Amino acid sequence: MEQRFKQMAEQIKDAAAENKTLQIVGGGSKVPLYDDAEVLSMEGYSGVLSYEPSELVITVRAGTTLEELHQVLAEKNQMVAFEPPEYGNSTIGGTYACALTGPAKPFRGKLRDYVLGTKLLDGQGRELNFGGKMIKNVAGYDVSRMLAGSKGSMALVTEMSLKVMPLVEEVTYRIEMPECDAIVLMNKMAGTSLPMSGGAYYQGHFYYRVMGEHPKQTNRVGVEAVDNSIWKILNPFKPKLEPGQKLWRLDVESTNPCIDGTIAVGMGGTRRWVASEHKPDHPYVTLWDDRFLPRHNDGKGVKKIKQGLKKVFDPHHVFKDL
Amino acid sequence: MAFLEEIQEIKMRVVEALKNALPKGCVLASDEECRPYECDALSAYREKPLAVALPETVEQVKEVLRICKAHGTPVITRGSGTGLAGGTLPLQDGIILGLSKLNKILKVDPLQRIAVVQPGVRNIQVSEAVEPHGLYYAPDPSSQIACSIGGNVAENSGGVHCLKYGLTVHNVTSIRVLNMDGEEYVFDEKDDGVDLLALLNGSEGLLGVIVEIKLKLLPKPDAAQLVMAAFQSVTECADAVTAVLEQGIIPAGLEMMDKFSIQAAEDFAKVGYPTDAEALLLCEVDGSFDQVQVDAKRVADILTSKGAYEIKVSQSERERIALWQGRKNAFPAVGRYSPDYYCMDGTIPRSKLAYVLEEIKKMSERYGLRVANVFHAGDGNLHPLILYDANKPGELEQTEKFGGEILNLCVDVGGTITGEHGVGVEKLNSMCHQYHGHELEIFHGIKEVFDDTGLLNPGKAVPTLHRCAELGHMHVHNGQLPFGHLERF
Repeated sequence: MEQRFKQMAEQIKDAAAENKTLQIVGGGSKVPLYDDAEVLSMEGYSGVLSYEPSELVITVRAGTTLEELHQVLAEKNQMVAFEPPEYGNSTIGGTYACALTGPAKPFRGKLRDYVLGTKLLDGQGRELNFGGKMIKNVAGYDVSRMLAGSKGSMALVTEMSLKVMPLVEEVTYRIEMPECDAIVLMNKMAGTSLPMSGGAYYQGHFYYRVMGEHPKQTNRVGVEAVDNSIWKILNPFKPKLEPGQKLWRLDVESTNPCIDGTIAVGMGGTRRWVASEHKPDHPYVTLWDDRFLPRHNDGKGVKKIKQGLKKVFDPHHVFKDL
Repeated sequence: MAFLEEIQEIKMRVVEALKNALPKGCVLASDEECRPYECDALSAYREKPLAVALPETVEQVKEVLRICKAHGTPVITRGSGTGLAGGTLPLQDGIILGLSKLNKILKVDPLQRIAVVQPGVRNIQVSEAVEPHGLYYAPDPSSQIACSIGGNVAENSGGVHCLKYGLTVHNVTSIRVLNMDGEEYVFDEKDDGVDLLALLNGSEGLLGVIVEIKLKLLPKPDAAQLVMAAFQSVTECADAVTAVLEQGIIPAGLEMMDKFSIQAAEDFAKVGYPTDAEALLLCEVDGSFDQVQVDAKRVADILTSKGAYEIKVSQSERERIALWQGRKNAFPAVGRYSPDYYCMDGTIPRSKLAYVLEEIKKMSERYGLRVANVFHAGDGNLHPLILYDANKPGELEQTEKFGGEILNLCVDVGGTITGEHGVGVEKLNSMCHQYHGHELEIFHGIKEVFDDTGLLNPGKAVPTLHRCAELGHMHVHNGQLPFGHLERF
């Protein structure tokens, strides 16, 4: 693997020298390949480098599949608490690049919350290390968390250390009710001491998930216990759409009222999935057509900052902007 | 002399412009008025600022920034001044931008569980304000009665509960930031792409001036119980913590004290700590009534099986708070044994704790300076308190050297130089030990993107490449010295 790391550094340096563009590809489960870029494959650049269950930290190569990661952690009764979606052969590197988090987001936090450190190659093929393996670390700017979501456009992250958590027992309940009422109720419940780890609305039902010891739920009117499959249906969400419709992912405040065309509400109300022909009028909308494209809706100032940061990490513009 | 005269002249111009822009009483310029701003909680470092500006509105903050940019005057943003690393140490030719008058809680939405606050709001005020709704703001640095939320974001502050509830970065969902031109940006958790909100947390006032913060609020747990356990060795105690975490329990608080700290705390607070113990563990579990009962019993059982020779489980809220009093007063308690103390903030893997404490003990003997250790055992954050006397010539310098050695040791065992206090001016040299030239170059690059004037808190948090080269900490890779074009001394 050391050889492989060197090769990757060489590939980046060569691309910089020859003015070529590289597209970083992990398991190939998310972003499509572009003709104008050479592939920098992370396939097989995998494996657990260190794992200390009692320190709650695991360090893995970026090409490690989520499947392998889950397996290794489960053996020690632990998990990645941000519940990354499985798109088939998904890697932790790709998940990090797209900053993907599952249904427990408002309760247990998102992917970047669990990132402790990264090793990376910048656009000049230089090895850099940011953060570390410590849960608490405020030395230097938090580059490791900043790059979560950068879609491989700034640097090649080759390794990362993640905080892991104990596996918890979770059970799911549901109540039949209208969507608008469910949004209010899931917010109200999240403000109580009930140890929730999921809140969603799908096909006429409000679903909520609870972890660990908790008061009996099924003695409440209309509450039924169901299996945990709903969270897999919503993460990743791949609904069948009517012809002409598109799927839009909206990030909103959890209490945002019902939005027209919504086919599912996730993440305690902060995530709305809308099926419609036209883009919903909302500040945080992403067209979700399995291509994980950015929204390109940054204001002028933020855009300038992002362009500036790109230059700092990748001055020769080696990595493809996605 | 020419330099001083120049400063005097700039000062007059800047002060005049500031006085014109801000209401009466919002610009402090006399020696006497500026004195309280000469240092933050790291009082060993002092400098007199050119002036202190205390704007009352965001518009006034923008004005201050524009004036400073026009005059090339450095801006050191300050909240309550409780920082422990000299992050708000003034510059002779720079102003202190005090945000203590921006102290309003702008909005509380109990249903959404968020609060929008101005940066000068004190940490504890947030929890107090939302208490009627059964909510609270989780990060609780020990200075929480005084420290400001703006400062918390700048330092990415922690607290005793961060293993379970996270640091500031995990509990902030949006911020409004100004650059040196007074232009506004919003960095929100809903943003796409590079995570600028995460970047701004812990950026120590170098990237922008934060003027509004949206905080995540959590429901207050039903119950909490504290398990106190005494051990005959540090290793046993650390192993017991390991066992608790391996069993899948994430305690809300997990604090460890060494013999010196236990004795000092008991002397001070008289809470019934076993003073014959080599190590004391305070382990708090919280959550629903059902969960707490189960967890407290499991924790007590695990600790007993791992060699705790005395265990006490709090039976009432009063007892729980009383047992915490010793730990919460550990710093002043230790402080009573010495005219001054110096608090370090390294982080280490727990498995290295016994080794690190042994090494610190050796250093302590070598330097002839006493050390008490308190340890956030859950997240590896070690706070050695070095006792010294600033009035003895050279003792502060020796203490700083000692502290620097401890931090290097933390890095060498796989940890970091600062878990929650920040780098400020205090740990600039240690940064050279933790990061290499290329990484520091990236840090400087990031700074320039946000602040091409270099006027926001210059000289803090990230050491210059020169400084590291002089210290001999430059990382030589494959025999090639980075930054060959730089002069070295």
